Amino acid sequence: MTVHKKEEIDLQDIKKMLLDQGYITDDSVAMSVYLSLRLNKPLLIEGPAGVGKTEIAKVMARALETDLIRLQCYEGLDATHALYEWNYQRQLLHLKMTEQSEQSIEEKEQTIFSDAFLMKRPLLQAITHHQKPVLLIDEIDRSDEEFESFLLEVLSDWQITIPETGTIKASHIPQVILTGNRTRELSDALRRRCMYLYIGYPDFEKEWMIVKTKLPGIESRLAEQITRFVQELRAMKLEKSPGIAETLDWAAALSALHIEYLDKAIIEQTLGLVIKDWKDTRQVQLSLSELMEKTGITSKLP
Amino acid sequence: MISRQTSLAKNIILFCRFLRTKGYAIGPPEENLLLLALAEINIGSKQEYQLAMRATLCKSQKELEQFDDLFRQFWKELDKAVDAKEKQVPEKKQEKPKPGPDASFRALQTWLHGNRNKDTEETATFSTRENLARKDFSNIPDDELYSLQQYLRTIARKLSVKANRRHEPSGKTRQPDLRRTLRKNLRRGGELLDIVYRRPKKNRMKLVILCDASRSMELYTAFLLQFLYAFQQVFNRVETFVFSTGLKRITSQLKQQEFSDTKKILGTEKLGWSGGTRIGACLADFVREYADNLLDKKTIVIILSDGWDTGDPHEIAGALSAIHNKSKKIIWLNPLAGHSGYQPDTAGMQAALPYIDVLAAAHNADSLKKLGNWL
Repeated sequence: MTVHKKEEIDLQDIKKMLLDQGYITDDSVAMSVYLSLRLNKPLLIEGPAGVGKTEIAKVMARALETDLIRLQCYEGLDATHALYEWNYQRQLLHLKMTEQSEQSIEEKEQTIFSDAFLMKRPLLQAITHHQKPVLLIDEIDRSDEEFESFLLEVLSDWQITIPETGTIKASHIPQVILTGNRTRELSDALRRRCMYLYIGYPDFEKEWMIVKTKLPGIESRLAEQITRFVQELRAMKLEKSPGIAETLDWAAALSALHIEYLDKAIIEQTLGLVIKDWKDTRQVQLSLSELMEKTGITSKLP
Repeated sequence: MISRQTSLAKNIILFCRFLRTKGYAIGPPEENLLLLALAEINIGSKQEYQLAMRATLCKSQKELEQFDDLFRQFWKELDKAVDAKEKQVPEKKQEKPKPGPDASFRALQTWLHGNRNKDTEETATFSTRENLARKDFSNIPDDELYSLQQYLRTIARKLSVKANRRHEPSGKTRQPDLRRTLRKNLRRGGELLDIVYRRPKKNRMKLVILCDASRSMELYTAFLLQFLYAFQQVFNRVETFVFSTGLKRITSQLKQQEFSDTKKILGTEKLGWSGGTRIGACLADFVREYADNLLDKKTIVIILSDGWDTGDPHEIAGALSAIHNKSKKIIWLNPLAGHSGYQPDTAGMQAALPYIDVLAAAHNADSLKKLGNWL
């Protein structure tokens, strides 16, 4: 059924689906998503924070009409958190409760090492899912190298061995998306196993479109000013450049306050929505007049 | 027009080969994937064709950025190659051009090779101080070189064993911590509900090596690299850069080759070996390009340089303070420090001193032996 559906999807469908989700982007993104679906290759997406890497997984899940299973990576993440764990507390309680029963040790063992006592973590969930799921492995660069090599193994074999019960082979090979912020260099082996996509900050037109699509009620002029201003901020080489999420937050806030255009006072008061680092804040405040001149925002005289 | 004369698959393989000369890691699996991908798209659209190639062949941001240019360059040359063949014909005779793809391929192939040389010439003119003179190791006798190598390898092996024991890695990642488990469960009447685990502490140190490759330093650089790579299994990761007038990452080259080739790598890399060294600028380059990705609090940075800098000492200070903040430790190896009466009084060294954790000599095998203590 799923396979049949997949056959029908072509590049235009992907473009349309991305658009329907309010995801405005360029053709290279659509092509990568499309080929990753068609060739069933994992897609590795890198780019700065807040440009919508995770969104792609959601779009894919919708394209395949399936579930999204997410594995959030962090430093120290290991196989037990990603794969499975036995529910020890339940096992112990169960043994305690059946202490008086006539069951033999073998029978008891069989009971406590059964599915009911197995806590499935995302990777095992993805492998045993009833249909082909989308598996999002978020921020893979935050996990350590050991986990990366473990993941490589899973991604190539698609089977997991649980010593107590045996080997589980994937019934449907999941559609995998990995994202990274480039906080750590990923291994070449992982790169070679995946298709690669880099998503950078959008240019002015694209970002303006995004703001207007996500916030249909916004004043056109305000949207333009906000976008221009954020674009200039990104050119400043700050510690933490604002992402699209910040632009949208800012636009939503100003729109909710019924502000029609930017001026110096408003920017100063609401800068915290866009700039989230004190050094950056200071730098922006110092060059605010220059920034406003560049973006064509006239400072209103009192 | 091209497709009529040469097969598409052949052109694609040729293009892959071209990308490989530009440093793209493309092997048969990638070529295969690309051909599969092309079956999925509308091949008549040049845009889709280019996008599909981009999506399947690029594996990093840098490769993505360069791709469009390379693509244009290649297909333009392919057109030219076809044209060239047609133009040659009237010179020969009034015969009709024979539709053999060989001529165009040959033209393309010579361009592939020819262009590679041209590229390096272009970069050579980029800096006036860059000097492409082939490096010469002949000033040490070969027999001595060999015994020194042997000795270095012995020291390195000893040190690596020592370091391994200190950190006690273990194959088992999950062992119950009995003491903590009992203590934690006492409050529940001694029934073991929560099991506390421990795992062996791992040595997760990483190493970034920045080597001065100017003429005065080349010998020291070669030996230090050999020494450090001999015990690289102790480290989680070793990254190596060389610099003189520019910065260059040579990690992957070193991984692939034996030390005898390391000399070749250092000798043939076109960095302008004998030009003046711009330590500050190169370190600043490192901070800008790599520091975020490669440095963390588990990383030791080793800089090997004599501190003779032709640039601005403030630049050294700025870059080193950034590296210092991000890494565990900076070890500066200065071969001159091995001579008695050495004072770090060059402007570059003076600027660097506040940020260095260890300043040591690295002029002979004995001083390298000491290096193990600081790692």
